[in-house]
Amino acid sequence: MKRRHFVRRRPFTALGAFLLIALLGWIWQERVALWAFPDIISAYTAKEYCSCRYVMNNDAQYCRGYVKQWLPVSGFTDDSAAKRVSVEGLGRSNSAQWLGERQGCRLNP
Amino acid sequence: MLKGVSLLFLLLVSLTAQAETWPGEQWSTTPTPGGPALQALEAYAFPPRDDVSRKGVRTDALLVIRDGRLIYERYASPTTVDTPHLTWSISKSLIATVLGVAYAEGRFKLEDPAAKFYPPLAGHPKLTLSDLLHWASGLDWQEDYEYAPLKSSVVAMLYTRGHQDMARFTAEHDEYAPPGQAFRYSSGDSNLLAAALKTIVGPARYADYPWTALFEPLGIRHAVWETDATGTFVASSYAYLTARDLARVGLLMARDGRWGDRQLLPADWVAFNRQPFARYQSHQDEAVPGGHWWLNRDADGAARPWPDAPPDTFAALGHWGQAMYVIPSERLVIVRYGDDRDGSYRHNELLKRVRQAFAGTVQP
Repeated sequence: MKRRHFVRRRPFTALGAFLLIALLGWIWQERVALWAFPDIISAYTAKEYCSCRYVMNNDAQYCRGYVKQWLPVSGFTDDSAAKRVSVEGLGRSNSAQWLGERQGCRLNP
Repeated sequence: MLKGVSLLFLLLVSLTAQAETWPGEQWSTTPTPGGPALQALEAYAFPPRDDVSRKGVRTDALLVIRDGRLIYERYASPTTVDTPHLTWSISKSLIATVLGVAYAEGRFKLEDPAAKFYPPLAGHPKLTLSDLLHWASGLDWQEDYEYAPLKSSVVAMLYTRGHQDMARFTAEHDEYAPPGQAFRYSSGDSNLLAAALKTIVGPARYADYPWTALFEPLGIRHAVWETDATGTFVASSYAYLTARDLARVGLLMARDGRWGDRQLLPADWVAFNRQPFARYQSHQDEAVPGGHWWLNRDADGAARPWPDAPPDTFAALGHWGQAMYVIPSERLVIVRYGDDRDGSYRHNELLKRVRQAFAGTVQP
C-alpha cells in the first residue's frame, strides 16, 4: 500500500502548520522591534506633548489635540508644577520631563 | 599708490556694507505690498483651518525677508511671533551650519573618517563626514515615520529602542551599501554628525556650542535644542526657533555664510552645502540633496523639483510642512511653519505665490 504524503492527506492542516511556523519565525526575527512597538504611542505622546506645552508654550487643550493619534492612550497626567508628562497606552507607560530653557523636554529612560 | 588702492577698496567695501541691511535686536521692516498677488498667497497658505479633521494646508507661520528686511509675516493660532516652533528636520540643516563654524575653526576636514570623532563607528572606517552630510552613510536605515512603524528606524530612535543614545543606535545598523555610494535619507546620519561634533569641539564646549557658535552671533535669543540622555543634540529633529530667528540663519546662508562683516561660515563650506550629491538619482526624494540642505537643481536628467522657483533656491525642510527657503538671486528668505498632516502642501505652489507677491526688483 502506498502511503499518501501528509500534505496531500491533510492539505489545510499542513498549510496552517506552515503558516504558523512562518509566523513564529517572523516573530522571532522581529522580537526586538515587536517588544518595543507598544511603547511608541505612550512615548510619542508624552514627549511631543511635553515639548508642545513647555517648549512651544501652547495651551494644554491644543497640545492634547496636537499629539492625538489613531491609537488611544489612557492615564494621561500633566504635572504642570514639575513640567512632567506621563502617559499610558497599549499596556506601557512612558514619561517626559522638561529640563530647562535650552534643553527642552526629554523622554525618561 | 598701493596704499591709495587699498584705501579705495576699504571705502568701497564699507559702502557696500552700509547698503546692506542686517537685523539688530529686531528685524527692520518694510511695508508689505498688498494686491491680488498677496491675496492669492494667503488664500493658499491660510485657508480656513479645521482642527478636528486636520486636513489640508495648515500654516502656523509664514515670514518673508527681502533684502534683509522683514516684508511680510503672519501667524495662525496658537503660534505667535514669540513661539519657538518645532522645526523637525530643519534641525539637520542647522547642525550642518553649526558644523560649518567648527569647520571655520579648522577642527575637521570633510574627508575625515567619522570614526575619528565617533569611535562606535570603528566598524565603518571608510565612512566620512562628507558622506554623512550627503545622507550617504550606507547604513541600512528605514526612515518612514507613520506608515511602517514596526520597521521604522526613526520611530525606534526617537521613542523606543534608540532614544537614550541615538547615535549609538544608528551606528549599530548594518551596512547595505559602501559609504558615499548611495543616497538614502536618514535621521540617523544627522545624529551621527551631532555625536561627532562632541569630539570635534570638545565635550567642555559642546553643550553650549550651537549657541556660542551660531545662535548668539546671529542675535538669536530663544533657541531650544533637545538632547538625548547622553547629552547629544537630537540633530535630526528637535531644534525649536521662532520664525524670525530661523530667518536669521536663512539670511546667513543667502549671503554665503557672512553675517555683517564677519565670515562665520567659510565660502567653500556653503558651496559644499549647495553642491548636489553626485550619486543622487532623480526622484529618490522631494528635492536634490546637497550637504545637509535641499536644492532646487536639475539632477540626473530630471527637471527641478520646484519649477516655479529659480535654480539657485535651496531649503531646509522638515516633517509636517516645516520649511525655510533661501533664494539668493532674489534676495529672499522664506520661513514657513506648519502642521500639515495629509501631505497636501506643495513647496512649489508656495514659492510661486511668494515670488509673485514679493520678488519685485524694487530696492528699498
